[in-house]
Amino acid sequence: MQAKTFTMADLIRYTLVIAILIVFLFPIYWMVSTSFKPPPDILTRPPKWTFQPTLSNYVYAFEEANFALFLKNTLIVSVISSTIVIVLASLAAYSFARYNTGAGHLMFFFLTTRMMPGIAVIIPFFVIFKVIGGTAIGQALSLGLDRLGALVVCYTVFNLPFAIWLMHSFFQDIPRELEDSARLDGYSRLQVLWRVVLPLAVPGIAVTAIFTLIFSWNEFLFAFLLTRDVARTITVGVAGFWTQRGIMWGPLSAAATVCVVPMLVFALVLQRYIVRGLTFGAVRG
Amino acid sequence: MDEATEKAPGAGRKPKRAMSDNLYAVLLVTPATIIIILFALFPLGYAINLSFRYADLTSAVGIGPYVGLDNYRFALNDTIFWESARRTLIFAVGAVSVEMVFGIAIAFVLNQLRWFQGIVRSLLILPLAAAPAAVGLVWRYMYHPDFGVYNAIMSMLGLPERNWLGAVNLAMPSVIMFDIWQWTPFVALIVLAGLQSLPKEPFEAAELDGASTWQVLRRLTFPMLTPVLTLVFVLRSIDAIRLYDAILSLSHGGPGTATETLTYYLYRIGLKYFKLDHASAISLLFLYATVVFTAVALRSMMRVQAERARRA
Repeated sequence: MQAKTFTMADLIRYTLVIAILIVFLFPIYWMVSTSFKPPPDILTRPPKWTFQPTLSNYVYAFEEANFALFLKNTLIVSVISSTIVIVLASLAAYSFARYNTGAGHLMFFFLTTRMMPGIAVIIPFFVIFKVIGGTAIGQALSLGLDRLGALVVCYTVFNLPFAIWLMHSFFQDIPRELEDSARLDGYSRLQVLWRVVLPLAVPGIAVTAIFTLIFSWNEFLFAFLLTRDVARTITVGVAGFWTQRGIMWGPLSAAATVCVVPMLVFALVLQRYIVRGLTFGAVRG
Repeated sequence: MDEATEKAPGAGRKPKRAMSDNLYAVLLVTPATIIIILFALFPLGYAINLSFRYADLTSAVGIGPYVGLDNYRFALNDTIFWESARRTLIFAVGAVSVEMVFGIAIAFVLNQLRWFQGIVRSLLILPLAAAPAAVGLVWRYMYHPDFGVYNAIMSMLGLPERNWLGAVNLAMPSVIMFDIWQWTPFVALIVLAGLQSLPKEPFEAAELDGASTWQVLRRLTFPMLTPVLTLVFVLRSIDAIRLYDAILSLSHGGPGTATETLTYYLYRIGLKYFKLDHASAISLLFLYATVVFTAVALRSMMRVQAERARRA
């Protein structure tokens, strides 16, 4: 084994690492620090590095710009769609992992739908929701333009393939022998799934749920194009500080901080699984 | 398969159970499949239909008669379409190549850290989790020619200040720089995971044989990393081609059309000018290109999966 002393090579490595961290964390630091800057200190040349922190940007974002509504919308949409995704994806992923349903072709087809550029299919979605929103059923399910139901549908469709792939990798890790012996003990197939497999898959389900939550929370394109006021989400709300009369940098930074920081915390919770999630389960971290 | 070796209880009803196993498996997949097919294929059919008609929501006709291949003819002769396709490629090649090089380099450095590796790794996750639409706007502030922190840093270093997003030649590199900031850690973390899962034995053998560092890298490390590197490259390329949030929050495609990629051009003609016919034809050409690319490229993902299944 290597000696536990600090060598010249270590010095170079750690200097490099500190430089790398500064480069990658600086924008996040700047966002958070700007959000606490008093308004007169935001537009100075050169920018101020020290200042008297204030909450006025947050107050403006929440009181004047209705940011609480956007936050609530985002929470509702991401929680509901993630729940639906998890239920449907666990069933499908289990079937793919245990029975190899579709011999990989169906799974592969799902993956290609996830890779479609959203902008290329947005027009049909736009028209469909416009039409459905005018009908009674559409109104009851809040499926029209500028309605939360429409976003729930979009996020469910776009997160399902991802969730299936990731959960598939977790189900593969569960030894088949456990299921077989439970079957021999007289469990029905559904009992095996419910009492044996799902409890063992809880970490995988949790990881997948957090990932789909982050993706829904950060989604911008569909939220931007399918909502106007009532169903606006947080990412669109942040962009809303870019107004005709200019950009309100202070409240914008406050809003961006509220949008970004919770997801940073979630990502840290996930860190053991981050590589696995980002590669759709293909690479185990 | 264990039923085949064990004869006793299940032998009699084996054929019947095999049948219902299949049915059970299909039933489990059905809800997800219906949703995906409905929402993947229906919009596709709708777009195909629109692409053969006259459809301009700003006109009195709205969605009008069929016009044959006119919209495709328009698209293929549309210089702005080809220009934006070219910019999309420039963006993707520029961003992904730098991300790969830096990401791999960072992964090698991290792999040799003996202390604090976990903390450094988790800090590097942060850019990935930030919504590009939100941090993109923060970057716009940082790029501001007068009040931006990047110009302040430039002048502290004695370098000339720049109009990052305002100069025609610099806007695209500035957008690429944002993408590099956000996604280099992605490459680094995945390559690091790949490095850490390499088997030890070949490296020990190479050391015994007195192989040089360069030989080890060229003969062992990189060949064994190839599946992971391919996968990262494919995922990054697909995402880079689809990039939209960052363009909208950083530059709105400007100045002029300097950063207008295909996705932004589609947004402009389809959802700002409501020329649904042209937009649909271009969408379908774009979709066709990306689906062909992903279908070919993602085979590598299947290979990584199969490889793992074989080893398990």
